[in-house]
Amino acid sequence: MDRRELLKMIAVLTGGAVIGGEVFLSGCNAPAKSDAGFTTEQIALLDEVAETIIPATKTPGAKAAKVGAFMPIMVTDCYTQEQQDAFMKGIVSLDEASKKLNSKSFMDSNPQQRHDLLVSLEKEAKEFNKKVEEKDKPRREEFEKKQRPYDFVASPRHYYTMMKQLTLLGFFTSKTGMTETLRHNAVPGKYDGEFAYAKGDKAWAE
Amino acid sequence: MADNNTYDAIVIGSGISGGWAAKELTEKGLKVIMLERGRDIKHVKDYVTANTESWEFPHRGGRTQKMVEEYPALKRDYPLNETVLDMWVKDKECPYTETKPFSWFRGYHVGGRSLTWGRQSYRWNKWDFEANLKDGHGVDWPIRYDDLASWYSYVEKFAGIQGSKEGLDVLPDGEFMPAMEMNCVEKDVAARLKAHYKNMRHMFIGRSANITEPHNNRTNCQYRNRCWRGCPFGGYFSTQSATLPAAEATGNLTLRPFSIVTKILYDKNTKKATGVEVLDAETNKTYEYKSKIVFVCASAFNSTWVLMNSATDIWPEGLGSSSGELGHNVMDHHFRCGAGGKVEGFSDKYVFGRRPTGIYIPRFRNIYDDKRDYVRGFGYQGGAGRGRGVEIAEMTIGPDLKDALSVPSDNWGMGITAFGEMLPYHENTISLDKTVKDKWGLPVLNMNVEIKDNEIKMRKDMMEDAKEMLEAGGVKNVNTYDGGYEVGMGIHEMGTARMGRDPKTSVLNSNNQVWDAPNVFVTDGACMTSASCVNPSLTYMALTARAAEFAVNELKKGNL
Repeated sequence: MDRRELLKMIAVLTGGAVIGGEVFLSGCNAPAKSDAGFTTEQIALLDEVAETIIPATKTPGAKAAKVGAFMPIMVTDCYTQEQQDAFMKGIVSLDEASKKLNSKSFMDSNPQQRHDLLVSLEKEAKEFNKKVEEKDKPRREEFEKKQRPYDFVASPRHYYTMMKQLTLLGFFTSKTGMTETLRHNAVPGKYDGEFAYAKGDKAWAE
Repeated sequence: MADNNTYDAIVIGSGISGGWAAKELTEKGLKVIMLERGRDIKHVKDYVTANTESWEFPHRGGRTQKMVEEYPALKRDYPLNETVLDMWVKDKECPYTETKPFSWFRGYHVGGRSLTWGRQSYRWNKWDFEANLKDGHGVDWPIRYDDLASWYSYVEKFAGIQGSKEGLDVLPDGEFMPAMEMNCVEKDVAARLKAHYKNMRHMFIGRSANITEPHNNRTNCQYRNRCWRGCPFGGYFSTQSATLPAAEATGNLTLRPFSIVTKILYDKNTKKATGVEVLDAETNKTYEYKSKIVFVCASAFNSTWVLMNSATDIWPEGLGSSSGELGHNVMDHHFRCGAGGKVEGFSDKYVFGRRPTGIYIPRFRNIYDDKRDYVRGFGYQGGAGRGRGVEIAEMTIGPDLKDALSVPSDNWGMGITAFGEMLPYHENTISLDKTVKDKWGLPVLNMNVEIKDNEIKMRKDMMEDAKEMLEAGGVKNVNTYDGGYEVGMGIHEMGTARMGRDPKTSVLNSNNQVWDAPNVFVTDGACMTSASCVNPSLTYMALTARAAEFAVNELKKGNL
């Protein structure tokens, strides 16, 4: 699976194109802040969110892949100001949602509570993104009519969608993700187009 | 030699065509200077990301807002990403203007786009050279397939092209290295197509300039599929891996990077070029180089830019402008549409290795008895693969999600994308825009190019035929797509200084000589009189080698 296929897979799974990854989806209306201002606490929180989505099993999970530290790099460098703002606000909203559902902060929640919260956010995000897409449609079509589809910048998706996208992208392009959860061969040296496959064998990372 | 700035030949540009010109001319004993406007890239040593793994890229191979801002053209399609940023020109330093939308993706460095090309290598067929004459679009090619056949063989043997012999008129066989393999699904689909279309449509491995055996000190392809980062094995043809070492081995080559050729110097008494003027891109100093012949291989539009910028009293619109065709008849290949679907029943098979080519389906429209409501045709490139991730219930996260994404999909997928021929329209032009200047104060190009009815009609077939054929090949859930095409996205710029039989309607003659200055040869995409639907680079190689031999013979005869 090459990079473009990975981005496509994540887009299908999360219902939105990957920011900073795909063509036609990140433009540059206003230059974003060079430092989005993540705190150590926020990075720790993002690590736990990512770990809830992709946990350690027989192989290391998102936290071991340092996805919490990967997210700020992407948000700072690849997101527009509007997308950055939505992500930063989302970190606060996530904790508020946690307090509402589980009566405690995300960090204080146990794994089951964290899991339940994110599943509830999956539902919320799906509806939210549908509305964003409808709202964006006329503007998107305007750019298509002008034959400049690549200048269209989508409105921010639900903050959870951004977090999930960055988790999947960060994990499956990390060293542990690519070499332990998946398998990777830097120099295959040959090609076999009917290589035997037994159910359960890992997928190639690229 | 270098002190008096006089050489036998000057080659402008170091990409596929320039590299071939330098190799051929130096091997025939000429002292040659190759002028490259950008920086040097040394083979292997300067392929800085060749061995970089995904996790070592800060944005995992993505694009930042800063990149999007600095590359307003490149951002329009896949080439803009952090894995190969060094291999593309900085758009902001070298702008161009667009009367109509045009994507221009350029590589200004030694090797040019020979480092990043798609490597698909196909001969034109005999009908391609007759097409303009038969349907009246453009002017007749001054050469035929037979004029080029032996030159195709010559360049194929040196470049190293892997492919299978198919015995088809529509896509002539060449001098191939052992072919890469189709995978099990591709083989199955190919067999079904052959049966369904009674041997009138064909699918086989895409012929590419990746070597499958050791060749001229180059190691055969290692199936990493990271070609465009530069191959440390020399597994694919590029200036650096192939033509440059050959030219350097003669001791006759001087390579000068950071050399922007601003004009060709013309002597109106002898009606010949005397050399070129060079602007040093680093120091902004101007130099003159003198030579007996000049090969213009700066990439299609930049070759024409040099000619246009070489205006004199006699030729106010530029050298080679007497016909009024200089800058006209821009072509590209229109694509980004096709179809794809899933293939069931191969769940016990997977692939090993990353093959750097796909499959090819040669043109079948408007040949033999087929007749459509448009002229010319298209071919398909594509392939089958087994994606990742099995289906799970929506909104699943945690161990189940991780497991589901860690294994291949149950089904394989197969997709094909069409590449269509674009006609040479006189009104599709590039011109000098003197109101905008680049980083060095030089005028930029304006693009005024569009596809028309013929291409738009063809695109309908490009999608629907893809669906029909995939379904005939056993592919399920087939969907068509048209991702939108902007001229230039094919990165196959052609035309603007076309070859022809008549100096009144063409810029170059049958040997790629500028009619108005016979010691100036243009052998890159600029010279193309029509576009065919197959990838053009192999034809530039053949035309360049052919023109180089002609030029040296003429020099020996004292004709130049």
